[in-house]
Amino acid sequence: MSTLQDSQSPSTSEGMGLFERFLSVWVALAIVIGVLLGQFAPAIPEALSRFEVAQVSIPVAILIWAMIFPMMAQIDFSAVLGVRRQPRGLIITTTVNWLIKPFTMFAIAWFFLTVVFQPLIPADLASQYLAGAILLGAAPCTAMVFVWSYLTRGDAAYTLVQVSLNDLIMLFAFAPIVVFLLDISNIQVPWDTVALSVVLYIVIPLTAGYLTRRTLIARHGSEWYDNVFMKRIGPVTPAGLILTLVLLFAFQGEVILEAPLHIVLIAVPLIVQTFLIFFIAYGWAKVWKVPHRVAAPGAMIGASNFFELAVAAAISLFGLQSGAALATVVGVLVEVPLMLALVRIANKTRHHFPEAEAPAEAKG
Amino acid sequence: MAIEVSDRAREWLHKQGGVATVRLSPRHGCCGGRADIAVAEARTPDAPKRYTRLEHDGVVLYIAPTLLDQDLTLDVEGFLGLRHLFVDGAPLSR
Repeated sequence: MSTLQDSQSPSTSEGMGLFERFLSVWVALAIVIGVLLGQFAPAIPEALSRFEVAQVSIPVAILIWAMIFPMMAQIDFSAVLGVRRQPRGLIITTTVNWLIKPFTMFAIAWFFLTVVFQPLIPADLASQYLAGAILLGAAPCTAMVFVWSYLTRGDAAYTLVQVSLNDLIMLFAFAPIVVFLLDISNIQVPWDTVALSVVLYIVIPLTAGYLTRRTLIARHGSEWYDNVFMKRIGPVTPAGLILTLVLLFAFQGEVILEAPLHIVLIAVPLIVQTFLIFFIAYGWAKVWKVPHRVAAPGAMIGASNFFELAVAAAISLFGLQSGAALATVVGVLVEVPLMLALVRIANKTRHHFPEAEAPAEAKG
Repeated sequence: MAIEVSDRAREWLHKQGGVATVRLSPRHGCCGGRADIAVAEARTPDAPKRYTRLEHDGVVLYIAPTLLDQDLTLDVEGFLGLRHLFVDGAPLSR
Protein backbone atom coordinates (compact mmCIF):
# COMPACT_ATOMS: atom_id res chain seq x y z
CA MET A 1 0.00 0.00 0.00
CA SER A 2 1.39 3.37 -0.96
CA THR A 3 0.60 6.13 1.46
CA LEU A 4 1.41 9.78 1.80
CA GLN A 5 3.84 8.84 4.54
CA ASP A 6 5.69 6.50 2.19
CA SER A 7 6.24 9.30 -0.25
CA GLN A 8 7.60 11.47 2.57
CA SER A 9 10.42 9.03 3.22
CA PRO A 10 13.67 9.79 1.41
CA SER A 11 14.27 7.68 -1.68
CA THR A 12 17.23 5.30 -1.74
CA SER A 13 19.02 7.52 -4.24
CA GLU A 14 18.67 10.45 -1.84
CA GLY A 15 20.04 8.52 1.10
CA MET A 16 22.76 6.52 -0.56
CA GLY A 17 25.38 7.23 -3.18
CA LEU A 18 26.39 5.02 -6.08
CA PHE A 19 29.03 3.18 -4.05
CA GLU A 20 26.84 2.08 -1.17
CA ARG A 21 23.77 1.29 -3.29
CA PHE A 22 25.79 -1.14 -5.36
CA LEU A 23 28.02 -2.44 -2.58
CA SER A 24 27.15 -6.02 -3.53
CA VAL A 25 28.51 -5.37 -7.03
CA TRP A 26 31.79 -3.96 -5.67
CA VAL A 27 32.08 -6.87 -3.24
CA ALA A 28 31.53 -9.29 -6.14
CA LEU A 29 34.20 -7.44 -8.14
CA ALA A 30 36.57 -7.60 -5.15
CA ILE A 31 35.97 -11.38 -5.05
CA VAL A 32 36.80 -11.71 -8.76
CA ILE A 33 39.91 -9.50 -8.52
CA GLY A 34 41.08 -11.32 -5.38
CA VAL A 35 40.59 -14.76 -6.94
CA LEU A 36 42.41 -13.66 -10.12
CA LEU A 37 45.24 -12.23 -8.01
CA GLY A 38 45.54 -15.48 -6.07
CA GLN A 39 45.54 -17.54 -9.27
CA PHE A 40 47.76 -15.47 -11.54
CA ALA A 41 49.97 -13.51 -9.14
CA PRO A 42 50.17 -15.68 -6.02
CA ALA A 43 53.51 -14.12 -5.07
CA ILE A 44 51.73 -10.91 -4.01
CA PRO A 45 49.44 -12.38 -1.31
CA GLU A 46 52.21 -14.78 -0.24
CA ALA A 47 54.65 -11.90 0.22
CA LEU A 48 52.06 -9.90 2.17
CA SER A 49 51.29 -12.85 4.44
CA ARG A 50 54.95 -13.03 5.56
CA PHE A 51 54.70 -9.71 7.46
CA GLU A 52 53.54 -11.21 10.75
CA VAL A 53 54.07 -10.24 14.37
CA ALA A 54 52.80 -12.64 17.06
CA GLN A 55 50.79 -14.44 14.35
CA VAL A 56 49.04 -11.19 13.42
CA SER A 57 49.35 -10.31 9.74
CA ILE A 58 50.44 -6.67 9.67
CA PRO A 59 48.94 -5.80 6.20
CA VAL A 60 45.64 -7.35 7.25
CA ALA A 61 45.70 -5.58 10.62
CA ILE A 62 46.34 -2.23 8.88
CA LEU A 63 43.43 -2.79 6.48
CA ILE A 64 41.12 -3.82 9.32
CA TRP A 65 42.07 -0.77 11.39
CA ALA A 66 41.44 1.35 8.31
CA MET A 67 37.93 -0.16 8.17
CA ILE A 68 37.10 0.16 11.86
CA PHE A 69 38.90 3.28 13.11
CA PRO A 70 36.83 5.90 11.17
CA MET A 71 33.63 4.42 12.60
CA MET A 72 35.01 4.45 16.12
CA ALA A 73 36.24 8.03 15.70
CA GLN A 74 32.70 9.27 15.12
CA ILE A 75 31.15 7.67 18.21
CA ASP A 76 29.98 10.23 20.74
CA PHE A 77 29.88 8.27 23.99
CA SER A 78 28.25 11.15 25.84
CA ALA A 79 25.10 10.23 23.87
CA VAL A 80 24.75 7.20 26.16
CA LEU A 81 23.57 9.63 28.84
CA GLY A 82 20.33 9.91 26.86
CA VAL A 83 19.24 6.33 27.61
CA ARG A 84 16.18 7.53 29.53
CA ARG A 85 14.73 9.32 26.50
CA GLN A 86 13.33 6.33 24.57
CA PRO A 87 13.30 3.56 27.17
CA ARG A 88 10.99 1.19 25.32
CA GLY A 89 12.91 1.38 22.07
CA LEU A 90 16.21 0.91 23.91
CA ILE A 91 14.90 -2.08 25.88
CA ILE A 92 13.61 -3.77 22.72
CA THR A 93 16.71 -3.21 20.62
CA THR A 94 19.21 -3.96 23.37
CA THR A 95 17.39 -7.19 24.29
CA VAL A 96 17.07 -8.28 20.67
CA ASN A 97 20.67 -7.39 19.85
CA TRP A 98 22.34 -9.07 22.79
CA LEU A 99 19.97 -11.68 24.25
CA ILE A 100 18.21 -12.98 21.13
CA LYS A 101 20.15 -12.26 17.93
CA PRO A 102 23.41 -14.13 18.66
CA PHE A 103 21.48 -17.24 19.65
CA THR A 104 19.00 -17.23 16.75
CA MET A 105 21.94 -16.72 14.38
CA PHE A 106 23.65 -19.74 15.89
CA ALA A 107 20.47 -21.87 15.77
CA ILE A 108 19.51 -20.91 12.21
CA ALA A 109 23.06 -21.24 10.85
CA TRP A 110 23.53 -24.59 12.62
CA PHE A 111 20.21 -25.89 11.23
CA PHE A 112 20.91 -24.90 7.62
CA LEU A 113 24.66 -25.49 7.42
CA THR A 114 24.92 -28.74 9.34
CA VAL A 115 21.46 -30.29 8.82
CA VAL A 116 19.67 -29.03 5.69
CA PHE A 117 22.82 -28.58 3.58
CA GLN A 118 24.66 -31.56 5.06
CA PRO A 119 24.88 -33.39 1.70
CA LEU A 120 26.33 -30.28 0.05
CA ILE A 121 28.88 -29.01 2.60
CA PRO A 122 31.62 -31.17 4.16
CA ALA A 123 31.31 -31.27 7.97
CA ASP A 124 34.59 -29.45 8.68
CA LEU A 125 33.69 -26.60 6.32
CA ALA A 126 30.17 -26.41 7.76
CA SER A 127 31.72 -25.84 11.21
CA GLN A 128 33.86 -23.06 9.80
CA TYR A 129 30.89 -21.40 8.13
CA LEU A 130 28.94 -21.73 11.37
CA ALA A 131 31.78 -19.97 13.20
CA GLY A 132 31.60 -17.10 10.68
CA ALA A 133 27.84 -16.83 11.17
CA ILE A 134 28.31 -16.74 14.96
CA LEU A 135 30.78 -13.85 14.59
CA LEU A 136 28.29 -11.96 12.41
CA GLY A 137 25.48 -12.51 14.91
CA ALA A 138 27.48 -11.30 17.90
CA ALA A 139 28.05 -7.72 16.73
CA PRO A 140 25.26 -5.31 15.73
CA CYS A 141 25.73 -2.53 13.18
CA THR A 142 27.34 0.63 14.52
CA ALA A 143 27.55 3.03 11.60
CA MET A 144 25.42 2.14 8.59
CA VAL A 145 22.35 2.25 10.78
CA PHE A 146 22.38 6.06 10.57
CA VAL A 147 21.72 5.68 6.84
CA TRP A 148 18.93 3.10 7.41
CA SER A 149 17.45 5.38 10.06
CA TYR A 150 17.53 8.32 7.65
CA LEU A 151 15.82 6.27 4.93
CA THR A 152 12.97 5.37 7.30
CA ARG A 153 12.73 8.86 8.84
CA GLY A 154 14.02 7.45 12.12
CA ASP A 155 14.54 9.34 15.35
CA ALA A 156 18.04 10.78 15.16
CA ALA A 157 18.56 11.10 18.91
CA TYR A 158 17.36 7.55 19.59
CA THR A 159 19.62 6.15 16.85
CA LEU A 160 22.62 7.98 18.29
CA VAL A 161 21.93 6.72 21.82
CA GLN A 162 21.31 3.13 20.73
CA VAL A 163 24.50 2.98 18.66
CA SER A 164 26.62 4.39 21.51
CA LEU A 165 25.04 1.95 23.97
CA ASN A 166 25.70 -0.99 21.63
CA ASP A 167 29.33 0.04 21.22
CA LEU A 168 29.82 0.04 24.98
CA ILE A 169 28.07 -3.32 25.43
CA MET A 170 30.08 -4.78 22.56
CA LEU A 171 33.32 -4.10 24.44
CA PHE A 172 32.28 -6.53 27.16
CA ALA A 173 29.78 -8.89 25.51
CA PHE A 174 31.29 -9.76 22.12
CA ALA A 175 34.05 -12.08 23.36
CA PRO A 176 31.99 -14.06 25.93
CA ILE A 177 29.11 -14.58 23.46
CA VAL A 178 31.48 -15.71 20.70
CA VAL A 179 33.41 -18.07 22.97
CA PHE A 180 30.21 -19.54 24.43
CA LEU A 181 28.59 -20.17 21.03
CA LEU A 182 31.78 -21.51 19.46
CA ASP A 183 32.18 -23.80 22.46
CA ILE A 184 28.71 -25.31 22.13
CA SER A 185 29.42 -25.75 18.41
CA ASN A 186 32.50 -27.80 19.37
CA ILE A 187 34.76 -25.23 17.71
CA GLN A 188 37.71 -24.78 20.00
CA VAL A 189 39.20 -21.31 20.10
CA PRO A 190 41.57 -20.39 22.95
CA TRP A 191 40.32 -17.57 25.15
CA ASP A 192 43.57 -15.66 24.73
CA THR A 193 43.15 -15.68 20.93
CA VAL A 194 39.64 -14.25 21.23
CA ALA A 195 40.87 -11.72 23.80
CA LEU A 196 43.68 -10.69 21.44
CA SER A 197 41.24 -10.13 18.56
CA VAL A 198 38.96 -8.08 20.84
CA VAL A 199 41.91 -5.96 21.98
CA LEU A 200 43.22 -5.54 18.42
CA TYR A 201 39.98 -4.87 16.62
CA ILE A 202 37.67 -3.34 19.25
CA VAL A 203 39.64 -1.94 22.20
CA ILE A 204 42.53 -0.38 20.24
CA PRO A 205 40.41 1.27 17.48
CA LEU A 206 37.79 2.35 20.03
CA THR A 207 40.40 3.91 22.33
CA ALA A 208 42.25 5.47 19.41
CA GLY A 209 38.96 6.82 18.03
CA TYR A 210 37.94 8.25 21.41
CA LEU A 211 41.34 9.89 22.02
CA THR A 212 41.50 11.25 18.47
CA ARG A 213 38.02 12.71 18.82
CA ARG A 214 38.76 14.32 22.18
CA THR A 215 42.17 15.67 21.18
CA LEU A 216 41.18 17.07 17.80
CA ILE A 217 37.93 18.62 19.06
CA ALA A 218 39.86 20.27 21.91
CA ARG A 219 42.45 21.57 19.44
CA HIS A 220 40.37 22.47 16.36
CA GLY A 221 36.72 22.45 17.48
CA SER A 222 33.83 20.10 16.77
CA GLU A 223 32.85 21.69 13.44
CA TRP A 224 36.36 21.23 12.04
CA TYR A 225 36.33 17.66 13.34
CA ASP A 226 33.02 16.84 11.64
CA ASN A 227 33.42 18.79 8.43
CA VAL A 228 37.15 18.41 7.74
CA PHE A 229 38.62 15.46 9.62
CA MET A 230 35.67 13.03 9.45
CA LYS A 231 34.93 14.06 5.89
CA ARG A 232 38.47 12.93 4.99
CA ILE A 233 38.63 9.69 6.96
CA GLY A 234 34.96 8.60 6.63
CA PRO A 235 35.42 7.16 3.12
CA VAL A 236 38.48 5.17 4.30
CA THR A 237 36.17 2.52 5.81
CA PRO A 238 34.58 1.29 2.56
CA ALA A 239 37.96 1.52 0.78
CA GLY A 240 39.57 -0.57 3.54
CA LEU A 241 36.70 -3.03 3.30
CA ILE A 242 37.09 -3.58 -0.44
CA LEU A 243 40.90 -3.92 -0.19
CA THR A 244 40.54 -6.42 2.67
CA LEU A 245 38.15 -8.46 0.56
CA VAL A 246 40.57 -8.47 -2.39
CA LEU A 247 43.33 -9.74 -0.10
CA LEU A 248 41.04 -12.26 1.56
CA PHE A 249 39.89 -13.71 -1.74
CA ALA A 250 43.44 -13.88 -3.03
CA PHE A 251 43.77 -16.60 -0.36
CA GLN A 252 40.26 -18.00 -0.83
CA GLY A 253 40.54 -18.53 -4.61
CA GLU A 254 40.70 -22.33 -4.48
CA VAL A 255 37.60 -22.59 -2.27
CA ILE A 256 35.56 -20.28 -4.49
CA LEU A 257 36.61 -22.03 -7.69
CA GLU A 258 35.93 -25.49 -6.26
CA ALA A 259 32.59 -24.72 -4.60
CA PRO A 260 31.00 -21.45 -5.75
CA LEU A 261 27.63 -22.79 -4.59
CA HIS A 262 28.82 -22.48 -1.00
CA ILE A 263 28.41 -18.70 -1.19
CA VAL A 264 24.71 -19.18 -1.94
CA LEU A 265 24.33 -21.81 0.77
CA ILE A 266 25.97 -19.58 3.40
CA ALA A 267 23.72 -16.69 2.35
CA VAL A 268 20.52 -18.64 3.11
CA PRO A 269 20.73 -18.69 6.94
CA LEU A 270 22.05 -15.10 6.96
CA ILE A 271 19.00 -13.92 4.99
CA VAL A 272 16.56 -15.88 7.18
CA GLN A 273 18.21 -14.47 10.33
CA THR A 274 18.10 -10.88 9.08
CA PHE A 275 14.37 -11.00 8.38
CA LEU A 276 13.60 -12.90 11.60
CA ILE A 277 15.45 -10.43 13.82
CA PHE A 278 13.89 -7.46 12.04
CA PHE A 279 10.38 -8.84 12.54
CA ILE A 280 10.99 -9.78 16.19
CA ALA A 281 12.09 -6.24 17.07
CA TYR A 282 9.55 -4.58 14.78
CA GLY A 283 6.68 -6.77 16.06
CA TRP A 284 7.66 -6.17 19.67
CA ALA A 285 7.73 -2.43 19.02
CA LYS A 286 4.25 -2.67 17.47
CA VAL A 287 2.91 -4.50 20.55
CA TRP A 288 4.43 -1.85 22.84
CA LYS A 289 3.06 0.94 20.63
CA VAL A 290 6.52 2.40 20.06
CA PRO A 291 6.47 5.27 17.52
CA HIS A 292 7.56 4.30 14.02
CA ARG A 293 10.53 6.69 14.12
CA VAL A 294 11.98 4.52 16.91
CA ALA A 295 10.59 1.12 15.88
CA ALA A 296 12.07 1.21 12.37
CA PRO A 297 15.69 2.12 13.21
CA GLY A 298 15.52 -0.08 16.32
CA ALA A 299 14.60 -3.12 14.22
CA MET A 300 17.26 -2.24 11.64
CA ILE A 301 20.04 -1.93 14.22
CA GLY A 302 19.32 -5.50 15.32
CA ALA A 303 18.99 -6.85 11.80
CA SER A 304 22.23 -5.47 10.38
CA ASN A 305 25.69 -6.60 11.41
CA PHE A 306 29.01 -4.98 12.26
CA PHE A 307 30.56 -7.10 9.54
CA GLU A 308 33.94 -5.35 9.61
CA LEU A 309 34.41 -6.65 13.14
CA ALA A 310 33.13 -10.10 12.12
CA VAL A 311 35.56 -10.23 9.17
CA ALA A 312 38.41 -9.03 11.41
CA ALA A 313 37.65 -11.56 14.16
CA ALA A 314 37.26 -14.40 11.64
CA ILE A 315 40.63 -13.63 10.06
CA SER A 316 42.28 -13.24 13.43
CA LEU A 317 40.77 -16.42 14.95
CA PHE A 318 40.71 -18.74 11.95
CA GLY A 319 42.93 -17.18 9.25
CA LEU A 320 42.48 -15.56 5.87
CA GLN A 321 41.96 -18.91 4.17
CA SER A 322 39.30 -20.10 6.61
CA GLY A 323 35.68 -20.91 5.89
CA ALA A 324 34.77 -18.62 8.79
CA ALA A 325 36.29 -15.64 6.98
CA LEU A 326 34.41 -16.60 3.81
CA ALA A 327 31.11 -16.77 5.73
CA THR A 328 31.58 -13.28 7.18
CA VAL A 329 32.23 -11.92 3.68
CA VAL A 330 28.95 -13.41 2.47
CA GLY A 331 27.43 -11.26 5.21
CA VAL A 332 28.92 -8.20 3.50
CA LEU A 333 27.68 -9.40 0.11
CA VAL A 334 24.02 -9.61 1.16
CA GLU A 335 23.89 -6.73 3.67
CA VAL A 336 22.86 -3.77 1.52
CA PRO A 337 20.18 -5.46 -0.66
CA LEU A 338 18.68 -7.05 2.47
CA MET A 339 18.64 -3.84 4.45
CA LEU A 340 17.11 -1.90 1.56
CA ALA A 341 14.34 -4.52 1.44
CA LEU A 342 13.74 -3.93 5.16
CA VAL A 343 13.72 -0.16 4.60
CA ARG A 344 10.92 -0.68 2.05
CA ILE A 345 8.98 -2.89 4.47
CA ALA A 346 9.38 -0.37 7.29
CA ASN A 347 8.22 2.52 5.11
CA LYS A 348 5.23 0.59 3.75
CA THR A 349 4.06 -0.38 7.25
CA ARG A 350 4.53 3.02 8.86
CA HIS A 351 0.77 3.49 9.24
CA HIS A 352 0.58 0.53 11.67
CA PHE A 353 2.58 2.46 14.27
CA PRO A 354 1.78 5.57 16.29
CA GLU A 355 3.49 8.72 15.05
CA ALA A 356 3.61 10.32 18.47
CA GLU A 357 5.31 9.16 21.62
CA ALA A 358 3.33 7.24 24.21
CA PRO A 359 3.15 9.07 27.57
CA ALA A 360 5.75 6.78 29.20
CA GLU A 361 8.26 7.87 26.57
CA ALA A 362 8.12 11.50 27.61
CA LYS A 363 11.35 13.41 27.52
CA GLY A 364 13.33 13.13 30.69
CA MET B 1 9.90 27.74 13.34
CA ALA B 2 9.37 26.82 16.96
CA ILE B 3 12.35 26.23 19.20
CA GLU B 4 11.84 25.35 22.79
CA VAL B 5 14.53 25.67 25.42
CA SER B 6 13.75 23.77 28.60
CA ASP B 7 14.11 25.52 31.96
CA ARG B 8 16.95 23.15 32.85
CA ALA B 9 18.75 23.91 29.59
CA ARG B 10 18.33 27.67 30.02
CA GLU B 11 19.63 27.55 33.58
CA TRP B 12 22.58 25.36 32.55
CA LEU B 13 23.37 27.49 29.49
CA HIS B 14 23.47 30.64 31.61
CA LYS B 15 26.21 29.01 33.69
CA GLN B 16 28.09 28.02 30.50
CA GLY B 17 28.14 31.51 29.00
CA GLY B 18 24.60 31.81 27.64
CA VAL B 19 25.38 30.71 24.05
CA ALA B 20 24.34 27.56 22.18
CA THR B 21 24.93 26.32 18.65
CA VAL B 22 22.58 23.88 16.93
CA ARG B 23 24.08 22.36 13.79
CA LEU B 24 24.22 19.20 11.69
CA SER B 25 26.92 16.64 12.37
CA PRO B 26 27.58 14.00 9.67
CA ARG B 27 27.68 10.29 10.51
CA HIS B 28 29.39 8.12 7.90
CA GLY B 29 28.10 4.62 7.13
CA CYS B 30 30.51 1.71 7.07
CA CYS B 31 29.36 0.77 3.54
CA GLY B 32 29.60 4.39 2.47
CA GLY B 33 26.75 6.86 2.66
CA ARG B 34 26.14 9.53 5.24
CA ALA B 35 23.36 10.91 7.38
CA ASP B 36 23.42 14.22 9.23
CA ILE B 37 22.30 14.39 12.82
CA ALA B 38 21.36 17.56 14.71
CA VAL B 39 23.65 18.31 17.66
CA ALA B 40 23.65 21.11 20.21
CA GLU B 41 26.75 22.57 21.83
CA ALA B 42 27.19 25.26 24.47
CA ARG B 43 29.51 27.49 22.43
CA THR B 44 29.64 30.06 19.64
CA PRO B 45 29.99 28.52 16.16
CA ASP B 46 33.24 28.83 14.17
CA ALA B 47 31.50 30.99 11.56
CA PRO B 48 28.55 32.73 13.27
CA LYS B 49 27.54 34.46 10.01
CA ARG B 50 26.53 31.11 8.54
CA TYR B 51 23.95 30.64 11.30
CA THR B 52 20.70 32.32 12.21
CA ARG B 53 21.09 34.15 15.50
CA LEU B 54 18.16 34.11 17.90
CA GLU B 55 17.75 35.38 21.43
CA HIS B 56 15.66 33.24 23.68
CA ASP B 57 15.09 34.24 27.32
CA GLY B 58 18.61 35.59 27.74
CA VAL B 59 20.21 32.75 25.80
CA VAL B 60 21.80 33.39 22.38
CA LEU B 61 21.10 30.59 19.94
CA TYR B 62 22.93 30.02 16.65
CA ILE B 63 20.82 27.70 14.49
CA ALA B 64 22.01 26.16 11.21
CA PRO B 65 19.70 27.43 8.43
CA THR B 66 18.66 23.89 7.42
CA LEU B 67 17.27 23.32 10.92
CA LEU B 68 15.18 26.47 11.07
CA ASP B 69 11.96 24.82 9.89
CA GLN B 70 12.07 22.10 12.57
CA ASP B 71 10.30 21.98 15.90
CA LEU B 72 13.42 21.72 18.02
CA THR B 73 13.71 21.23 21.74
CA LEU B 74 16.94 22.03 23.59
CA ASP B 75 17.48 20.22 26.87
CA VAL B 76 20.28 18.95 29.08
CA GLU B 77 20.95 15.44 30.32
CA GLY B 78 23.57 13.60 32.30
CA PHE B 79 24.99 14.32 35.71
CA LEU B 80 27.88 16.14 37.38
CA GLY B 81 30.68 16.83 34.88
CA LEU B 82 29.00 14.64 32.25
CA ARG B 83 26.03 16.99 31.87
CA HIS B 84 25.58 18.07 28.25
CA LEU B 85 23.19 19.80 25.92
CA PHE B 86 21.10 17.88 23.41
CA VAL B 87 18.57 18.73 20.75
CA ASP B 88 15.45 16.76 19.98
CA GLY B 89 12.96 17.02 17.15
CA ALA B 90 15.18 17.09 14.08
CA PRO B 91 15.09 14.00 11.87
CA LEU B 92 18.21 12.65 10.23
CA SER B 93 18.92 14.47 7.01
CA ARG B 94 21.40 14.48 4.20
